[in-house]
Amino acid sequence: MILSLIGTLLLIVGAVCDIFGAIGMHRFGNFYLRLHAATVGTVGGKFYPLIGVGLIALDRGLLPIAGVAFLSAFTLLITTSVGSHALAYAAERAGVVKIEHDELGGDEDD
Amino acid sequence: MFENTILLLMVLYGVAGVIYFIRVLLGPTVLDSILAGDCVSLDVALIALLIAVYYENNLLAGGAFFLVLWAFVLDIFASKYLVKGEVGV
Repeated sequence: MILSLIGTLLLIVGAVCDIFGAIGMHRFGNFYLRLHAATVGTVGGKFYPLIGVGLIALDRGLLPIAGVAFLSAFTLLITTSVGSHALAYAAERAGVVKIEHDELGGDEDD
Repeated sequence: MFENTILLLMVLYGVAGVIYFIRVLLGPTVLDSILAGDCVSLDVALIALLIAVYYENNLLAGGAFFLVLWAFVLDIFASKYLVKGEVGV
């Protein structure tokens, strides 16, 4: 019972974060700002709810679903940051957004 | 009580997924579409797990992990081909 309650609370918080992230994807102006909104929507809106689903499944005795949920949450926590960095690096290389001072260029331009 | 809450939460995550999908269609660059597509795929994984809990069916949960991995693979391969210049923005 208490595990289901904690899981449901995590799911509700995650739904709020997910909707805020989805709105931020439309409100923000360029790609890097949208990357921030997507990270809020991914970590706050998917990682915590996956933990919540795992707790609810544990409470009901559905152990395979709990295992998949916890494994997905752990994988998501690792791969989201890697994917976001890869996308930001590709955006900088492709010149998607004009930036005034290119700190990622290193010493090559000096 | 928990069943109705899970149904309501599925609807909320579905609404968020639809808002993300609008950005997939509208995205000015390919990178915006890829970013929103990641979020949609993770939303679908979460909804699949919620459906599996709702119907108490273990077989429905198997696809969710592959959707999480798919989002990561989409990021990495799109970035690779964008950096190499084989695909334009």
